[in-house]
Amino acid sequence: MLNKIWTIFKRDVKVNFREVMPLYIMLAPLMLAIGINLITPGINDTTVNIALIEGENPAQEQCLNEFAHVETFPGEAEVLSRVKERDSLIGILPGDNGYYILAQGNEPESVVEYAKLLNVFFESGVDIENSKASIVEFGETVPPVKKMLVNILLLMIPMLSGMLITLNIVEEKADKTISAINLSPTSRTAFILGKSLTGMMISLVTTVVCILITGFYNVNILLLLLVAAASTVLAMTIGFIQGINNDDVMEAVGSMKLVFLPLAGSVAGYELLSGGWQAFFWWSPFYWSYRANNIILGKEGSAGELLLYTAIIAAICITAYALMLPRIKKGLQ
Amino acid sequence: MKLLSSIKKELILAARSFYFYIEIGFALIMLAVLLFAVPEHSGARSEEYLYLDLPPAAAKVLIDETLDEDIDGRPQETELKAEGAVYKALLFQTDERDIFLMESEAAAETMTKHKKAIGAVITMDKGELHYKYFLQGYESKRLKNLLLVLHAQDFDTLETRMNEQKVINVDSGHIPLNDRENAIPPLMAFSGSLMSMFIMAAYVSLDRQEGVIKAFAVTASPVSKYLISKMFVLMLTSVISGLIVVAPLMGTKINYALLLLLLLTTGVFASMLGLLTASFFQNITKAFGIIFLPMVLFMLPAIAYYIPGWDPVWVKLIPSYPMLQGFKEIISNGDAMYVLLVSAGFLAAGFVLFLITNNRFRKTLTV
Repeated sequence: MLNKIWTIFKRDVKVNFREVMPLYIMLAPLMLAIGINLITPGINDTTVNIALIEGENPAQEQCLNEFAHVETFPGEAEVLSRVKERDSLIGILPGDNGYYILAQGNEPESVVEYAKLLNVFFESGVDIENSKASIVEFGETVPPVKKMLVNILLLMIPMLSGMLITLNIVEEKADKTISAINLSPTSRTAFILGKSLTGMMISLVTTVVCILITGFYNVNILLLLLVAAASTVLAMTIGFIQGINNDDVMEAVGSMKLVFLPLAGSVAGYELLSGGWQAFFWWSPFYWSYRANNIILGKEGSAGELLLYTAIIAAICITAYALMLPRIKKGLQ
Repeated sequence: MKLLSSIKKELILAARSFYFYIEIGFALIMLAVLLFAVPEHSGARSEEYLYLDLPPAAAKVLIDETLDEDIDGRPQETELKAEGAVYKALLFQTDERDIFLMESEAAAETMTKHKKAIGAVITMDKGELHYKYFLQGYESKRLKNLLLVLHAQDFDTLETRMNEQKVINVDSGHIPLNDRENAIPPLMAFSGSLMSMFIMAAYVSLDRQEGVIKAFAVTASPVSKYLISKMFVLMLTSVISGLIVVAPLMGTKINYALLLLLLLTTGVFASMLGLLTASFFQNITKAFGIIFLPMVLFMLPAIAYYIPGWDPVWVKLIPSYPMLQGFKEIISNGDAMYVLLVSAGFLAAGFVLFLITNNRFRKTLTV
């Protein structure tokens, strides 16, 4: 049987490399990884955006630029017009008794408070040189936002492989080629494993390359691959099930949305909700994958914690695979 | 008449297909998630690790000040584990922060490093407080400057001067959205409008596979009517699923005419974009590759949506940016004129795409 799985795998690799789509599935995450490298420095440097009148007070502009992004405009009307735009930008304008803060009214409170603080610094003539504080840095270079985006990318890679399987199977069903497998000496299990192996390889190779592109050279790649492999098992299972259950591409594409829901929900739940609410996501392997990847990428947490998360992911994914295997086999008949 | 007949036929086919029900089911799941899993106030908190290397009297003053902000007015004794060691700490919980008062500088430093949080040691020299911050290293220069300058002036003076600052709000009637309401605009934009792009591509690929497009060529009905009928079904699905999510959450608080307008116009734009893309490919597998990247690009404005200070010009040029902002204006009962302008823009862009797509389908019916 191993020989047949290997033969299907080799054939799939050969066929897939002739097609644009599998190459694309591998290249798309790499392009996203490059995109992450390009946008994260800007996001990390985000504090508050301030609008000032051009040339009105060069010392003020220089001072505020030390703490915030400063944009200048020819006059008050232009500052007002800019403040009214959709993004959070605060104007600091000269008034009768010093400067005042001009806000649209829908900015987060912290943004307005930050602007007030900066205005006080300038008006008081406070100098950093007089600070009674010092800073000790630990030498970390990867900002949390980059870690988060790379983590999301790592969750998406197995899902893309799963989606490819769905689309392939639906198309094979439409072409009525899938039933040909029944005439060959290959068992359905070997066929499924062989097909899965290709998706697994695409997923794992892409994961490693993305990690290297985004600069996470010192993370434990083996542990990361372990989590990716467990997630890929789930993505493959979903891919096969959706391919088999849906009779046309429309239904398959529609139901793909349902798969992205737990993925997006798990990430949002972990990042945005406080401890108590996170229990809502314990059932989701994506939640545990995200947590495990977080530990690996951030080189934080204990080995025991990581092994526990990986075991939970593997348990959920293998259980799902075992439960669905008979259905997949039946669907391929 | 032919158009009505085409639309009726498409609606009957849609009602028989699982796709329509999957969309409705998805909307119901989203509604349940928003109602039961997304709190109105998520309570995301930050952690701080502090060590007071101060004479007892000075430490007591700072602890009392922290206690004033504590939710229940008393600290909790707790144990923290990091790098194989266990540290005792006092936990003060304010509305937004968990402040851990550690027993030693080393403990504060280790926990700050371990938890990727912020930490500080406060000492006293010649009657003045001195602050040593522990930062991870990736923080921006501007943030570091702020931390330093915060301690270049007396805190009480700083607070008094801040409270004296005059703030003018241009739009004073604005009511901020809670966390649950804030999640609706991205959902409307990505699940409703932008998925139309993908679904439309799949729709046309399916029809091409089944020979429907070829069959259309020999009927008396022009291709434009085929495209419009497809678009109509998608817009109807988008509107129904959008209303399923929004109506129970927002009730009568919002302007539904504006919501319908934006859902329809963004649906026209996205479905036409999907149609145009699909016209270049034989099947959805190949079209998917091309559609996937714009979809990821279209998701970028969601980062700007959740990080208010990050709004570069290039992000504003991505069509999903005005989509998101438009839905936000509707949910927050904001600027109706902006919604009308955005809708007009998407309708115009959709119309241009329709002309191009129609021309392409007429010339290359079987491409």
